[in-house]
Amino acid sequence: MCGIAGILYKDTVAKADIGKALISMLDGCQHRGPDSTGFALYHDAVPGQYRLRFIVDEGDDIAAAIDDIKERLAEFQAQVIDEELVGAGFRLDIRFDGDLQKLAYEMEHAAKLSSIGESLDIIKDVGGAHDIDDVYSVARFQGTHGIGHVRLATESDVAPEASHPFWATGFADIAIVHNGQITNYYKMRRRLEKRGYFFNTDNDSELIAVYLADKLKNGVTLKDALKATIEDMDGTFSFLVSTKDEIGYAKDRLAAKPMVKYEDDNIIAIASEEVSLNKLFPGRALDTSEPAPGTFNTWQRSISA
Amino acid sequence: MATIDLSLTPVRKANELIRQYGAGGEDVQILNPDARHHIGVGLTHPIKVTVRGSAGYFCAGLCDGPTFEIERNVGWGLADNMLNGTVIVNGNASAIPGVAVRGAEVIVRGNVGSRAGQVMKEGTLLCAGNANFMAGYMMYGGRMIILGNSGAQLGQDMTGGAIYVGGKINDLGTDAMLTDLPADELQELMEFLDKYKVSFNGTFRKVVNAGKKLKYARSEPRVRVIPFFEASGDNDYWNAKVQEDIHVKAQIGRYRIRGYGTSRALPHLSDLAFKRDLSAIPADPDVVGKVNMKTEIGGRSGANPIKLSMPVMIAPMSYGALSKSAKLAMAIASRLSDISENTGEGGMSDEQREEANQLIYQCLAGRLGWNIHDMQRANGLEIYISQGAKPGLGGQLMAKKVTPEIAKIRGIPPGIDLRSPSRHPDVLGADDLVIKVEEFREATGYKTPVSVKLGAGRVRDDIKIAYKDGFDFVELDGMQGSTGAAGNEVLEYVGIPTLAAIQEAMDALKEVGGDKDMPIVLMGGIKDGADAAKAIALGARAVAVGTSAIIAGGCIACLQCHVGQCVVGIATQDPEHEKRYNIQAEAENTHRYLESLRWQMAAIAHAHGYGDIHDMSRGDLVALTPEAAEITGLPYAPEYRNRTESLLVAS
Repeated sequence: MCGIAGILYKDTVAKADIGKALISMLDGCQHRGPDSTGFALYHDAVPGQYRLRFIVDEGDDIAAAIDDIKERLAEFQAQVIDEELVGAGFRLDIRFDGDLQKLAYEMEHAAKLSSIGESLDIIKDVGGAHDIDDVYSVARFQGTHGIGHVRLATESDVAPEASHPFWATGFADIAIVHNGQITNYYKMRRRLEKRGYFFNTDNDSELIAVYLADKLKNGVTLKDALKATIEDMDGTFSFLVSTKDEIGYAKDRLAAKPMVKYEDDNIIAIASEEVSLNKLFPGRALDTSEPAPGTFNTWQRSISA
Repeated sequence: MATIDLSLTPVRKANELIRQYGAGGEDVQILNPDARHHIGVGLTHPIKVTVRGSAGYFCAGLCDGPTFEIERNVGWGLADNMLNGTVIVNGNASAIPGVAVRGAEVIVRGNVGSRAGQVMKEGTLLCAGNANFMAGYMMYGGRMIILGNSGAQLGQDMTGGAIYVGGKINDLGTDAMLTDLPADELQELMEFLDKYKVSFNGTFRKVVNAGKKLKYARSEPRVRVIPFFEASGDNDYWNAKVQEDIHVKAQIGRYRIRGYGTSRALPHLSDLAFKRDLSAIPADPDVVGKVNMKTEIGGRSGANPIKLSMPVMIAPMSYGALSKSAKLAMAIASRLSDISENTGEGGMSDEQREEANQLIYQCLAGRLGWNIHDMQRANGLEIYISQGAKPGLGGQLMAKKVTPEIAKIRGIPPGIDLRSPSRHPDVLGADDLVIKVEEFREATGYKTPVSVKLGAGRVRDDIKIAYKDGFDFVELDGMQGSTGAAGNEVLEYVGIPTLAAIQEAMDALKEVGGDKDMPIVLMGGIKDGADAAKAIALGARAVAVGTSAIIAGGCIACLQCHVGQCVVGIATQDPEHEKRYNIQAEAENTHRYLESLRWQMAAIAHAHGYGDIHDMSRGDLVALTPEAAEITGLPYAPEYRNRTESLLVAS
């Protein structure tokens, strides 16, 4: 139960104020979800350099958990460039050129890994958009695109790890924000687990992320993967997905969850409510449209070679 | 013309100003709306409001009389439940524009989102562009004009009214059909388009209800009355009631609809006992004066709380299921005992409003009888999500009871087997519900408490959502509650017992830290002061009585409420039957019964040494059965089974 927002700057210059834009958009729909807020932010990748975020529990165990994380990284010959303990999280920047999925699964067992990517950085915690910004300085983030989420916890706990966005556990640079409920969750999850995928939470949004990542890994385009989602997933959903250079949406056939988009030459912005889009353009009546039920689409950055 | 700049003035303040300008007859323009929600909600004066930009959810919602013009787009629920007036949107409208309108003219020059005109009753909704999925879903009346194309399932489950489509029709929904368009009707359409300067050169096709689902093929037969004890208790195998179910199904060939609640023995408050041996304590004739029973409910958000002389309410029962006379008697009894009455689904009558001191107004998914004027004269509002007797299902009112008068109040065609929708058009999740609650607060100036009625199902999650969505209180209804009509198997086998419901609710509230500030009113099989005192000891702030209140007022518990020919004049709309009901006498009977609850609760609290009924706590209770102990976590103490728990015996 929540609100979602996403924005992509189409031009190749990759220094847009993504953090600020998403803070405004999420603040605009905070009424839809006061429990927690999260951001998936993308900047231009430095090949071989990854950012990892872990959720660390409070207490004396933090030091031990961090030691454990570093020890395992060392086993994988990952080189730590930078680290920071902030809010409920521990951030690490590393250089790594081995098997990323293997590393990711290994790190999962060491601690609660909430994000991994060359471009992607997921910042999420309990509280509102501005609360998160106060702790994590989201407004300073400059980049290319991002998605965000405000959450009203209904069936699972209010905790940083239950917040969105979700990354596709095991896959770098894929994130998802979702409003709705996947009703064939366990059936779909069991299918993916049988094929060796690992789930970090019981949240249905993580399922969508892993489902999409699996398709992408097998060479399916994001667009086709979204199309398959509408076929395969039951329930009510409106979600946004982002990869290194794309952003996309899918909406269920019953259109039970809201979504509205605005597009011009420079940006594509999508949100649960127009009030979030208007936060980007105060005082301006926007030419918006609503995606139809059972539809999907993707937008790509115009990357120069 | 006055100007309000929403970049400077919050919507809540702006709406106060708009109403003031309305009272003074001055038009208003809104600058920098930036798609904010609730612009102009609750306006009952015929002024013009111009929104210079886009508006968010529920723009022009719950209004009567004004004219709105919105320069660009609007969000969900445009002109929600609008009675009279005009709304013009120059851009697009999101989902459910014109939801539940009752006379207004709503014009959208762009496209409209899903479920346009859902449960609309009267008036016109014009979409000059294309309409999305399920336009006219469950509409009861009025007309919808779509100049462009219409999406899938047009007119799904529509009951009345007409839809005119100028473009392509994707497909028709269940029970909708194409029909001829008479020339005079076409003429009226063209005049309407001219009035709003909308041009159209195509050909209209008309869609109406096909009439295949409006009534059950066969009605339930009347059956002889079986004593309730033969239908209940331990003997629930081939008992008289089970045989009767089979006989009825043998005649109608489908599931059986009947009144009342479950007849099965379920864990209940009677499976708990007070630890203290109350029989040993002499009754004090003045006990009522020695225990504070006054209870306020609903002040959590700063609204004026409902003030009760004791922690008891009359449970929601509709005018429709019950006769007007029976509803009046309930209102009078509530006044005599200084507690609250509840309208139930069927709207509010002037007489009921006059008789009841404290009246809660219930809002259901079909918005039957719902309107801004009654909202503003209610003491509390209640959003019905579901009911303990049939969680997840809408109400049923069989054709015999859908008289012209009932149909008029509810805004539906007369003589249909009314199956009320189970799902609110604008509440598809906790996130939408937040915005709905805010709309109600805006419409009533934040003065009236807004509550939610939950049929016990997924209690733990639902209570947490209710708490987070800011409801002032919750009416929690367990499986032992009754209803005017529902499927027999639903009554018997769906639902969560009242005892389990209150326990889960209190556990959930503790988990989110809300056990002190969001009161629970427990209902579903509360039959005496001992039940009420136990409910309060378990954490309920008050109880509500429905079935026991109408039994006190003459109901003979024959389970035939759905038939509409109630022999005592309670569950009927037939004037001949209703004549048998003596309003004043039954009001007094019900009042005396309510006073017995007061006396019993006071006596129980007093015997425990408490000066306030709310001093009762879990520590005062034990469980008499392993099941009740498991459900409540109270100590299992079978040795208490033989003890008298009521002071009635001791006195």
